Amino acid sequence: MTVIMDIAVVALRILLPVYAIVIVYQCYASMRRRRRPEKPLVLLHNEVTNLKIPVLFWENSLGRSKGSDIFVDDPAVSRNHCVLLRRKEGWFINDTGSKSGTFVNGEETFGRTQVYIDDKITVGYSTFTFKRGEEYTERLGPTWFFSRVSNKPAIKPFLLLFMITLFHLFMSVEACYTNDVQDYTPLTVFACLAAVEWVFFFVSTMILKRVNFELESLALFLTGIGVILLVRQELRSAYVQLIAAVLGMILFCVIIKIIENPDRLAKFRIYLMILAVGLLGISIIFGKISYGAANWITIGGISVQPSEFVKIIYIIVGASSLDVLQTKKNLIEFIVFSAICVGGLAIMGDFGTALIFFATFLLMAFMRSGDVKTVILAISAAIFGGTLALKFKPYIANRFAIWGHAMEHPQDDGFQMARVLTYIASGGLFGVGIGNGCLKYVFASESDLVFGIVAEEMGIIVAFTIAIAIAALIIYARSVTTRSRSTFYSITACCAAGLLVIQMSLNIFGATDVLPLTGVTLPFISLGGSSMISCWGLIAFIKAADERTYAVKR
Amino acid sequence: MKRTLQRSWLIFFVALAFLVGLGYFTFMLLTHNTDWVDQAYNGHISGSGGLAQAGSVYDRNDNILAQTVDGQRVYNEDEGIRTALLHTVGDNSLNISTAVQSMYRSELIGYNFIWGVGLPESLKIKNDIKLTVDAETCKAAYEQLGDRSGACVIYNYKTGEIICSVSTKSYDPEAPPEITEDNADQYEGVYLDHVLSSSYIPGSIYKIITCASAIENIPDYDTRVFHCEGSKNIGGSEVTCMESHGDITLKEAMACSCNIAFAELAVELGKDKMTEMSKKMGITSTYRISGAETQIGHYDVTQANENELAWSGVGQYDDLVNPMQMAIICGSIANGGKTKTPYIMDDATSFFTKLGITLPGTEEDALVNPDTAAKLKEYMRYTISDYYGDYLFGGLTVCAKTGTGETGEGKEPNAWMVGFCIDEDCPLAFACVVEHGGIGFSNAGPVAEAAMIQAARSLGASELQ
Repeated sequence: MTVIMDIAVVALRILLPVYAIVIVYQCYASMRRRRRPEKPLVLLHNEVTNLKIPVLFWENSLGRSKGSDIFVDDPAVSRNHCVLLRRKEGWFINDTGSKSGTFVNGEETFGRTQVYIDDKITVGYSTFTFKRGEEYTERLGPTWFFSRVSNKPAIKPFLLLFMITLFHLFMSVEACYTNDVQDYTPLTVFACLAAVEWVFFFVSTMILKRVNFELESLALFLTGIGVILLVRQELRSAYVQLIAAVLGMILFCVIIKIIENPDRLAKFRIYLMILAVGLLGISIIFGKISYGAANWITIGGISVQPSEFVKIIYIIVGASSLDVLQTKKNLIEFIVFSAICVGGLAIMGDFGTALIFFATFLLMAFMRSGDVKTVILAISAAIFGGTLALKFKPYIANRFAIWGHAMEHPQDDGFQMARVLTYIASGGLFGVGIGNGCLKYVFASESDLVFGIVAEEMGIIVAFTIAIAIAALIIYARSVTTRSRSTFYSITACCAAGLLVIQMSLNIFGATDVLPLTGVTLPFISLGGSSMISCWGLIAFIKAADERTYAVKR
Repeated sequence: MKRTLQRSWLIFFVALAFLVGLGYFTFMLLTHNTDWVDQAYNGHISGSGGLAQAGSVYDRNDNILAQTVDGQRVYNEDEGIRTALLHTVGDNSLNISTAVQSMYRSELIGYNFIWGVGLPESLKIKNDIKLTVDAETCKAAYEQLGDRSGACVIYNYKTGEIICSVSTKSYDPEAPPEITEDNADQYEGVYLDHVLSSSYIPGSIYKIITCASAIENIPDYDTRVFHCEGSKNIGGSEVTCMESHGDITLKEAMACSCNIAFAELAVELGKDKMTEMSKKMGITSTYRISGAETQIGHYDVTQANENELAWSGVGQYDDLVNPMQMAIICGSIANGGKTKTPYIMDDATSFFTKLGITLPGTEEDALVNPDTAAKLKEYMRYTISDYYGDYLFGGLTVCAKTGTGETGEGKEPNAWMVGFCIDEDCPLAFACVVEHGGIGFSNAGPVAEAAMIQAARSLGASELQ
């Protein structure tokens, strides 16, 4: 009898990794489907040369420079002459400091000027007639991610979420029968989790009328794994984590709403920066020092990590629409803001988060300016700063000293990493079963070392699947940006995805001794309310970059 | 927009860096997973609970050394064998880190990377381990060592199989003592396998190294006559000898273990030549014996004055050697300069072995030149045949060197005997040490004698009377 039970338990453990792979595959497969065909939005027709230029994006640079979206081979046109952009209200043209000016129907334009079908746009010696996209009849080459976009209907969003809920149910059932405790508390947590998942689904599809739910499904999948793993570690934390996830979902919706109009948002940039600096300032002054880093503040019994929310503001502040990018080329304001953020985090001793900000800064600075010099300069500055940090914070130097040798120091500096490695190896491919792990008794295992818990209890296959699912956000973000409504969305989506993946890498590789331990969280999985909320906030940028998010409701 | 999109390729570097890291971690995981699992702190395998489903451990004759019966770990029924093999087999705890039950616990309990340690007990497949040791030989060595602290190792220098490995002090693994402040003396160093993990002052056995250097560097070594009056002033202080040996050759000096001759040689050879030979013969290196590393010996005369250099040549000063290391030196001399690395079990746990891939063999480099080995063999043979007498080893043709390592502090010296048998069907090298045991020959000798005779018997050596 026990053998039959044992076989059933093992069968479930083998099922979960396979199932996890199927779910992650389905999430990404659905993301690729159901898109509008690649067609020009409008057309610029030079009636003298009879040249028809398709306009593909929502924001297009026009100029003599070869990299321009609308390339005009005319010596009187500036390299970055103007930007043609689409907004809810229609199409606009904005001169970005050209020498000869931009004219619509013969009148010189200042600032954003609306253009209508059949208007004449004059730049330099060239005049274009603004036409509808349908008049362009040639075929366009498809982008690689969409090169073989299946016409098969994607898995229905509710079916995908049903699969995910079922996965969480299996996890909970497994958690009911641990070696030490057998009771049904995991099912109670599962019931709450399932309720949250489905309420969010109905709000999204029925009230907000969004057509797709894959990105949210992926985030729910990861969130749920984290919550259920906590049940056998500390039940209360599981509920706290779930509440944080709900707050995160609310923030997710709020951010999508806020950034609906990036032009309006631009006016609030300075206030956002002040808010960010203020939040960091509060942590520095009132921050509670916990294990080296003073990044927690406690308000009314609830601990908050303000730096997590600064991440979101940082992403918003760093991005702009194309015409702003072309007029205001220098990065000084953004560099100063970044330096304050990174410096503030360094003062708090939170070098892991400082490193995340810095890497995000590199991504953002490069996407804005394409300036390799700035990037090299920033890296040099960071190496200098890092060396200083090593000098003044000896505990960081210790982490570097132990780096790569954790197994040789399992009782002192390598304590945590050595246990992570031992228990990952103990877990094998399918894990020792949810709730049966030993790593959960190690300090900070629920946050910094959570990758080890996943690998120990659910096996390395699930752990790798989760890691790859998060890493694939980069590919998804990059692909949706080809259709974004503004460079603001392209930059925020790519940088948010980059930030999440950098953070995940620091977490996973820090815990497994591939990199020095930095003590950052694993997105969506690690215990930590602020972290959970900010992760949901960050994927809102990826969601917003998807052209369909703000599309006309069905 | 196009430009922004082009620049966004930078984030693929982030993804690439992640994949590189993941690949590196996967590689480490595949190659190191058993090492990672076999840790004393691993909650899944520690304590006797970890051995509740473990496989059995056998000696070379399939005697059961340890097995699990009804969830209980039991050891050989003979208390002497149990206690003698404590440091080789291990007990329920993981206190003796080099023991098989500690180092290969994951193997015994049937760990593999696919299933981890998480399979329910009813579905686990345990593994047995067969060792190369002979239980009776170990028991014989243990009985001679008694409650003195020491070590005795014998291995086959042609194959590398370890026949005997005993470390004392020891205890019965079925009744492990609770070590408190009161009985700490009684169990001093009990969790260390002295064969592998300790090093001792060598005394005269170090003359083997000094002699090897002389053979290779001094042209008239064989004909030169040394003069011993019981003591001699070298470098401003006295070097003393056990007795006054008069005029003797190097061969005789080796046999009667004359300090004056070897002290003079050490000074004549100088620091560089002495250090070079010590290094070549492996004193300052470590060996991997079925996964466990041997303690590194010590020979460092960089700060030594002439008198100290002289003493270093007779194994005093701050020289230290490890028993396994000395056995390997003897095995190399016996085998014409080269030997197989000793092992206690086949290394079946490595990732490559599991895949059925055999890596190029790890035969040790030559420790001595073949000519030097032949000469040392002649000298060490003479020591037994003409000085101590062949009656000692029951008819075996043994070559050996004794040593009495003065430890100072009013304690008895370390008693040593190292050597090898040159009989064709008994290719065994040995090293025995009794810490603070007294004179080498009379204290380590009986241990070596008893163990070698029993080992030869287990090999079925025909010369044995």
